[in-house]
Amino acid sequence: MSAPAPVEEARDKEHQAERSAPSALWRAELHRYAILIVFAALIIGFGVSLPSTFLSIGNLSNILGSQAVLFILVMAVLLPTVVGDFVDLSLGSSLGLSAMTLAVLNVQHGWPVLLACLAGIGAAVCVGLVNVFFVVFFDNDPFIVTLGTMTIVQGVIYIVSGSNSVGIVSTNLSNWIFTNEFLSIPLEFYYGLAIFLVVWYVLSFTPTGQKALVIGQSREVARLSGVRVNRQRAWAYIIGAAIAAIAGIAYAGTNGTVDPTAGSALILPAYAAVFLGATAIKPGRINPLGALIAVYFLATGTAGLELLGAQTYFQQIFYGAALVAAITIPKVNRERFFKRKRAA
Amino acid sequence: MPVTDSGTPGDSDKRVSLKQPPAPGGQAVAPPALEVRDISKDFGNNRALDRVDLRIGHGEVVGLLGQNGSGKSTLVKVLAGVYDPEPGGRLFVGGEEVPLPLAPGQASEIGLSFVYQNLALAPGLSVLENLTLGQRIGGGARAWAPINWIGEHRSAAAVLDRYQVRLNLDRRTGELPPVDQARLAIVRAAEDLRRYRTRSGYKHSVLVLDEPTVFLPAEDIERLFDLIRTVVAEGAAVLFISHDLVAVRSITDRVVVLRDGRVVGEEAAGEIDEEALVDLIVGTPAGQGGPGSAPAEEPPVVQTALAPAEPAGPESAPELGQHVVVEHLADGRLADVSFEIGAGEILGVAGLIGSGAEDLPYLLFGARPAISGTLRLGARTLDAGRLSPQRSVRERIAFVPADRGALGLSERLALWENIVMLVEDEHYRGGVFRRSELVALAREAIARFEIRPPLAHAVTGTFSGGNQQKALLAKWLMARPRLLLLHEPTQGVDVGARRDIYRFVKSAATLNQTAVLWVTTDFGELAEVCDRVIVLSQGRPVATLAGEELSDDAITAAALRQTREDT
Repeated sequence: MSAPAPVEEARDKEHQAERSAPSALWRAELHRYAILIVFAALIIGFGVSLPSTFLSIGNLSNILGSQAVLFILVMAVLLPTVVGDFVDLSLGSSLGLSAMTLAVLNVQHGWPVLLACLAGIGAAVCVGLVNVFFVVFFDNDPFIVTLGTMTIVQGVIYIVSGSNSVGIVSTNLSNWIFTNEFLSIPLEFYYGLAIFLVVWYVLSFTPTGQKALVIGQSREVARLSGVRVNRQRAWAYIIGAAIAAIAGIAYAGTNGTVDPTAGSALILPAYAAVFLGATAIKPGRINPLGALIAVYFLATGTAGLELLGAQTYFQQIFYGAALVAAITIPKVNRERFFKRKRAA
Repeated sequence: MPVTDSGTPGDSDKRVSLKQPPAPGGQAVAPPALEVRDISKDFGNNRALDRVDLRIGHGEVVGLLGQNGSGKSTLVKVLAGVYDPEPGGRLFVGGEEVPLPLAPGQASEIGLSFVYQNLALAPGLSVLENLTLGQRIGGGARAWAPINWIGEHRSAAAVLDRYQVRLNLDRRTGELPPVDQARLAIVRAAEDLRRYRTRSGYKHSVLVLDEPTVFLPAEDIERLFDLIRTVVAEGAAVLFISHDLVAVRSITDRVVVLRDGRVVGEEAAGEIDEEALVDLIVGTPAGQGGPGSAPAEEPPVVQTALAPAEPAGPESAPELGQHVVVEHLADGRLADVSFEIGAGEILGVAGLIGSGAEDLPYLLFGARPAISGTLRLGARTLDAGRLSPQRSVRERIAFVPADRGALGLSERLALWENIVMLVEDEHYRGGVFRRSELVALAREAIARFEIRPPLAHAVTGTFSGGNQQKALLAKWLMARPRLLLLHEPTQGVDVGARRDIYRFVKSAATLNQTAVLWVTTDFGELAEVCDRVIVLSQGRPVATLAGEELSDDAITAAALRQTREDT
């Protein structure tokens, strides 16, 4: 009795799908590369206006090197996000905790730097496990739980550090992270690149990655297709925390001194990059390649603005505006815009 | 503006006396609370309602009966202003004509109130908040006036008292047992009607209850009926729509039976026996399967089934085709259900909503936990209480859920990704995921299952319902299942795709010897595709139909009749 209406609708939809297929595909292609195109335009624009400063090895090295800590954190943030737990706010604190643990053990207790690094990673993984316990095991909202753990970890950092900056960590660490360069770019960039390659490989070329994607898109569909949903979510939190800890080590190596607020300022830009990246390469999907492009797109934009003489706070405006624009523009040129036009 | 407000009661009496044909049984004095005449509704070429007449007197409880698709819900939706009826129909409320079609929301202004099966309660709100929700609607200055919660609490308690319903007003509604949720919804609707009567000064008002008892155990139904009697005593008339013949006979004064959109019978509830009622609903004397219902030409079983991927060697043959035995399966609703499905057999499971039939595929797949029972697949015996989707997938049990969008397919993934979801692991070699192989595999399936448009990379949500359903079937048949569990596999699917789905499932059963369990409330479909059908009622199998006796009407009759015997 109620059949006819859905039939009509189904047919309509089918026709639409057939008719709009070629143009839709073309538009999808454009969306995929929109950020890259804007990125290229940005480079050309800055290059033309600032040929001597913007187009220099020094600037390239600066852009690539200065973003390494953020970029590693982005890879950490990406993992829980891919499996559909859209926020792990505590990852910024995990970065801070790892850096602080490393600094305190190395500077105040004289631990060898390698051991201190491992302790830092261990501390962050513990935070990840706590998140798993409350988010996955008890099925709580990840936003609320990680808001809690973020705050707790921040408190722990203040206790451990006595609310002071701790430094200076072993120059050995700084050498291996920041000072030594390969092709004029600090080594930490290559560490970030290595982590990116692993994450990208797992997510794009293994069934595990494909399953993570399905979990992120529709958890129930994944569960009913026999995917071990909770196990994979748990691993995303734990490995995410471990990668955030590596970002913390990079932070300590880059700065030499660890501030108790390290990391808390990085978490929101990291999310901005992840979501901006989700509008590129594979639109609508959290993907590591998109995130890589997003990080360096944003870094290039801010570096260029700085060279043009803009104050540093313009960075934030650029970040925010790029994010909002990137998710809005694909929608504007679709239905909404045309519908309004047709109606008028 | 409600039309009924335009005249004085005296006016309306005059008009009624002119227009009202003398009603039988000397009830001509008062106009009926609600009367519809000549209501028709077409959906395309399909006539869902055909010149339906229905009268509900003051303080009368009228039962509306009919099978699925007989037009009951269409009639309710016309009254609710959801559907516009064809021109020519007329509606009288309290003797006054109301022009059709009704606007959505207009029903409440003319003294009609509806309680649907889903009750429309917000589970996260308190009982008090749900009860007073209706008064919060509407904008203007009132939207900003402070709410006196203490006063509201007091008056809500008085309301519950009036209907003799005892509920804690501060409880979260979702925590209430189902019967109390139903009672809350009915009290809310009845209270709306009472307010309407006080406000307008009219005596009439009609409460429409659409399948309010389906999920309730027998002892709770009685408590619901007590409430309905109180509501009637307060002054409302009731239209009671249900499949449950026992319930209908015990609460209603009169029953009206719809079949194929027409009123085919109207009897005093006390004077008709159930056998006659079943015959009226079904149309043919039950038991002798309708001769006209023989399926149209049998579609040829073409080579659409997924032939085994390896060229079918003799050693793979015993892998195919396994006998499935389910024993003593139980959950909250199912009580001790046992049955067998032969290799290559399509077993249908029928039952009214609430019978437990719809739980079966979810339990056997492990999507929901069963309390007890075993599932035997060939030589393997599995404990139904410990099934999980992972385990089921490994045992090659396939599951096509009714809620395709939420449970079956990921609508935002590309079509190919959905189709190959279960076989991905077989295409991961040397540390690399063979994407091109998988896409090729999906393309093959898209061609074989005739999915249109044949775009492997298009986003799944953009396909029509029928094509998504084919993709879902392709996804599971790709894994070469030994047992295929289907729940409403043709829901929201157009006629052509429906035929295709029948064909694909049949050929999977014939060629791969897959055992198939097919659960749907579309009994005609079961009669057409199944080799054998078991009928469940109140969690127990009550009939098995096969061969000659398998027909739409026979299934309906069996499902209806058994409701009676259990109470």
